[in-house]
Amino acid sequence: MGALRAQKLSGIQKQVLSLYRGFLRAARSKTPENRVHIESLVSAEFRKNSQSIDRKNFLHIEYLLRRGKRQLDQLKTVDSVRLSSSNLELSDTKTQ
Amino acid sequence: MASALRAAILGHVRVPVVVANGSKLLAPLWTHRTTAVRSMSSHDDHLEKNQVIDRILDIVKSFPKVDPSKVTPEVHFQKDLGLDSLDNVEIIMAIEEEFKLEIPDKEADKIDSCALAIEYVYNHPMAS
Repeated sequence: MGALRAQKLSGIQKQVLSLYRGFLRAARSKTPENRVHIESLVSAEFRKNSQSIDRKNFLHIEYLLRRGKRQLDQLKTVDSVRLSSSNLELSDTKTQ
Repeated sequence: MASALRAAILGHVRVPVVVANGSKLLAPLWTHRTTAVRSMSSHDDHLEKNQVIDRILDIVKSFPKVDPSKVTPEVHFQKDLGLDSLDNVEIIMAIEEEFKLEIPDKEADKIDSCALAIEYVYNHPMAS
Protein backbone atom coordinates (compact mmCIF):
# COMPACT_ATOMS: atom_id res chain seq x y z
CA MET A 1 0.00 0.00 0.00
CA GLY A 2 2.99 2.22 0.56
CA ALA A 3 3.93 1.62 -3.05
CA LEU A 4 0.82 3.24 -4.45
CA ARG A 5 1.38 6.55 -2.75
CA ALA A 6 5.12 6.48 -2.97
CA GLN A 7 5.63 9.40 -5.30
CA LYS A 8 4.12 12.43 -3.61
CA LEU A 9 4.53 13.05 0.06
CA SER A 10 2.11 15.41 1.75
CA GLY A 11 3.42 18.22 3.92
CA ILE A 12 2.51 16.43 7.10
CA GLN A 13 4.13 13.19 5.90
CA LYS A 14 7.32 15.13 5.25
CA GLN A 15 7.19 16.49 8.77
CA VAL A 16 6.78 13.01 10.20
CA LEU A 17 9.69 11.67 8.15
CA SER A 18 11.80 14.64 9.15
CA LEU A 19 11.10 13.95 12.81
CA TYR A 20 11.98 10.28 12.30
CA ARG A 21 15.23 11.35 10.68
CA GLY A 22 15.89 13.67 13.61
CA PHE A 23 15.51 10.83 16.09
CA LEU A 24 17.81 8.54 14.10
CA ARG A 25 20.40 11.34 13.90
CA ALA A 26 20.21 11.98 17.62
CA ALA A 27 20.62 8.26 18.27
CA ARG A 28 23.91 8.26 16.38
CA SER A 29 25.54 10.38 19.07
CA LYS A 30 24.76 7.83 21.79
CA THR A 31 26.78 4.76 22.74
CA PRO A 32 26.33 1.82 20.33
CA GLU A 33 24.24 -0.08 22.84
CA ASN A 34 21.95 2.85 23.56
CA ARG A 35 21.76 3.68 19.93
CA VAL A 36 20.34 0.27 19.05
CA HIS A 37 17.91 0.56 21.93
CA ILE A 38 16.72 4.04 20.96
CA GLU A 39 16.45 3.10 17.29
CA SER A 40 14.29 0.08 17.99
CA LEU A 41 11.99 2.02 20.34
CA VAL A 42 11.64 4.94 17.93
CA SER A 43 11.13 2.69 14.93
CA ALA A 44 8.47 0.64 16.73
CA GLU A 45 6.67 3.80 17.83
CA PHE A 46 6.57 5.34 14.35
CA ARG A 47 5.49 2.09 12.72
CA LYS A 48 2.79 1.45 15.26
CA ASN A 49 1.38 4.95 14.77
CA SER A 50 1.61 4.70 10.99
CA GLN A 51 -0.64 1.63 11.16
CA SER A 52 -3.06 2.68 13.87
CA ILE A 53 -3.68 6.34 13.07
CA ASP A 54 -5.82 7.37 10.14
CA ARG A 55 -3.89 9.39 7.56
CA LYS A 56 -6.52 12.12 7.65
CA ASN A 57 -6.50 12.51 11.42
CA PHE A 58 -4.40 15.65 11.17
CA LEU A 59 -5.26 16.87 14.63
CA HIS A 60 -3.87 13.76 16.24
CA ILE A 61 -0.85 13.57 13.95
CA GLU A 62 -0.02 17.20 14.64
CA TYR A 63 -0.30 16.57 18.33
CA LEU A 64 2.10 13.62 18.04
CA LEU A 65 4.48 15.71 15.94
CA ARG A 66 4.63 18.40 18.60
CA ARG A 67 5.14 15.85 21.33
CA GLY A 68 7.78 14.05 19.31
CA LYS A 69 9.70 17.27 18.70
CA ARG A 70 9.75 17.97 22.42
CA GLN A 71 10.99 14.46 23.15
CA LEU A 72 13.64 14.78 20.46
CA ASP A 73 14.90 18.03 22.01
CA GLN A 74 15.11 16.27 25.33
CA LEU A 75 16.93 13.32 23.84
CA LYS A 76 19.48 15.66 22.25
CA THR A 77 20.31 17.44 25.48
CA VAL A 78 20.31 14.44 27.77
CA ASP A 79 23.66 12.74 28.29
CA SER A 80 22.62 10.11 30.71
CA VAL A 81 21.80 6.64 29.46
CA ARG A 82 18.88 6.09 31.77
CA LEU A 83 17.19 9.38 31.06
CA SER A 84 17.36 9.02 27.31
CA SER A 85 15.67 5.65 27.30
CA SER A 86 13.08 6.51 29.96
CA ASN A 87 12.18 9.52 27.86
CA LEU A 88 11.26 7.22 25.01
CA GLU A 89 9.61 4.62 27.18
CA LEU A 90 7.41 7.41 28.44
CA SER A 91 6.23 8.04 24.89
CA ASP A 92 5.44 4.36 24.49
CA THR A 93 3.17 4.21 27.49
CA LYS A 94 1.42 7.45 26.59
CA THR A 95 0.18 6.24 23.26
CA GLN A 96 -1.10 2.89 24.43
CA MET B 1 80.89 38.83 -19.20
CA ALA B 2 78.02 36.35 -18.72
CA SER B 3 79.73 34.87 -15.69
CA ALA B 4 80.28 38.29 -14.25
CA LEU B 5 76.61 39.01 -14.70
CA ARG B 6 75.69 35.65 -13.12
CA ALA B 7 77.91 36.31 -10.14
CA ALA B 8 76.40 39.73 -9.78
CA ILE B 9 72.87 38.36 -9.89
CA LEU B 10 73.65 35.46 -7.54
CA GLY B 11 75.35 37.83 -5.18
CA HIS B 12 72.34 40.07 -5.28
CA VAL B 13 69.86 37.21 -4.85
CA ARG B 14 71.75 35.59 -2.02
CA VAL B 15 71.60 38.65 0.14
CA PRO B 16 67.99 38.39 1.29
CA VAL B 17 68.28 34.61 1.85
CA VAL B 18 71.28 35.05 4.10
CA VAL B 19 69.49 37.76 5.98
CA ALA B 20 66.44 35.57 6.35
CA ASN B 21 68.43 32.58 7.58
CA GLY B 22 70.28 34.85 9.92
CA SER B 23 67.02 35.99 11.48
CA LYS B 24 65.71 32.36 11.39
CA LEU B 25 62.26 33.51 10.54
CA LEU B 26 61.71 32.72 6.87
CA ALA B 27 62.85 29.06 6.89
CA PRO B 28 60.11 27.55 9.10
CA LEU B 29 57.48 29.71 7.44
CA TRP B 30 58.47 28.47 4.03
CA THR B 31 58.34 24.73 4.87
CA HIS B 32 55.01 25.21 6.50
CA ARG B 33 53.64 26.77 3.35
CA THR B 34 54.80 23.98 1.03
CA THR B 35 53.34 21.18 3.16
CA ALA B 36 50.03 23.01 3.27
CA VAL B 37 49.92 23.15 -0.51
CA ARG B 38 50.82 19.47 -0.84
CA SER B 39 48.13 18.29 1.52
CA MET B 40 45.56 20.21 -0.48
CA SER B 41 46.57 18.68 -3.81
CA SER B 42 46.59 15.08 -2.54
CA HIS B 43 43.10 15.51 -1.10
CA ASP B 44 40.97 15.13 -4.21
CA ASP B 45 40.42 11.38 -4.13
CA HIS B 46 37.10 11.40 -5.98
CA LEU B 47 35.04 8.26 -5.66
CA GLU B 48 34.77 5.93 -8.62
CA LYS B 49 31.26 5.33 -9.85
CA ASN B 50 31.60 1.55 -9.60
CA GLN B 51 32.62 1.90 -5.97
CA VAL B 52 29.60 4.09 -5.23
CA ILE B 53 27.26 1.60 -6.93
CA ASP B 54 28.73 -1.41 -5.09
CA ARG B 55 28.60 0.24 -1.68
CA ILE B 56 25.02 1.47 -2.14
CA LEU B 57 23.83 -1.92 -3.40
CA ASP B 58 25.47 -3.57 -0.38
CA ILE B 59 23.62 -1.24 1.98
CA VAL B 60 20.27 -1.91 0.32
CA LYS B 61 20.87 -5.68 0.17
CA SER B 62 21.71 -5.82 3.85
CA PHE B 63 18.48 -4.08 4.80
CA PRO B 64 16.46 -6.66 6.78
CA LYS B 65 13.23 -6.42 4.76
CA VAL B 66 14.90 -6.55 1.36
CA ASP B 67 15.28 -9.64 -0.81
CA PRO B 68 18.93 -9.22 -1.95
CA SER B 69 18.29 -10.98 -5.27
CA LYS B 70 15.94 -8.16 -6.30
CA VAL B 71 18.47 -5.37 -5.77
CA THR B 72 19.85 -3.76 -8.94
CA PRO B 73 21.31 -0.30 -9.57
CA GLU B 74 17.91 0.80 -10.96
CA VAL B 75 15.65 -0.69 -8.31
CA HIS B 76 12.92 1.52 -6.81
CA PHE B 77 12.76 1.18 -3.02
CA GLN B 78 8.99 1.29 -2.66
CA LYS B 79 7.65 0.03 -6.01
CA ASP B 80 10.13 -2.81 -6.50
CA LEU B 81 11.22 -3.73 -2.98
CA GLY B 82 7.94 -3.11 -1.19
CA LEU B 83 9.46 -0.73 1.33
CA ASP B 84 7.53 2.13 2.98
CA SER B 85 8.56 5.73 3.52
CA LEU B 86 9.99 4.98 6.97
CA ASP B 87 12.21 2.26 5.47
CA ASN B 88 13.23 4.80 2.86
CA VAL B 89 14.42 7.16 5.59
CA GLU B 90 16.42 4.36 7.21
CA ILE B 91 18.14 3.45 3.94
CA ILE B 92 19.07 7.07 3.21
CA MET B 93 20.42 7.44 6.76
CA ALA B 94 22.54 4.30 6.27
CA ILE B 95 23.89 5.77 3.01
CA GLU B 96 24.71 9.02 4.83
CA GLU B 97 26.77 7.13 7.36
CA GLU B 98 28.52 4.95 4.81
CA PHE B 99 29.69 7.97 2.78
CA LYS B 100 30.05 10.34 5.74
CA LEU B 101 27.49 12.79 4.39
CA GLU B 102 24.59 14.70 5.76
CA ILE B 103 21.75 14.73 3.24
CA PRO B 104 19.26 17.55 3.89
CA ASP B 105 15.57 16.65 4.27
CA LYS B 106 14.61 18.21 0.95
CA GLU B 107 17.05 16.02 -0.96
CA ALA B 108 16.48 12.93 1.15
CA ASP B 109 12.72 12.97 0.44
CA LYS B 110 13.43 12.82 -3.29
CA ILE B 111 15.79 9.84 -3.19
CA ASP B 112 13.46 6.87 -3.66
CA SER B 113 15.54 4.51 -5.81
CA CYS B 114 19.05 3.11 -6.06
CA ALA B 115 19.60 5.10 -9.26
CA LEU B 116 18.87 8.43 -7.55
CA ALA B 117 20.93 7.49 -4.50
CA ILE B 118 23.90 6.60 -6.71
CA GLU B 119 23.60 9.87 -8.65
CA TYR B 120 23.36 11.91 -5.49
CA VAL B 121 26.37 10.33 -3.77
CA TYR B 122 28.49 10.25 -6.92
CA ASN B 123 27.93 13.96 -7.53
CA HIS B 124 28.46 14.94 -3.91
CA PRO B 125 31.88 16.56 -3.47
CA MET B 126 32.24 15.46 0.16
CA ALA B 127 31.38 11.77 -0.32
CA SER B 128 34.16 9.49 0.94
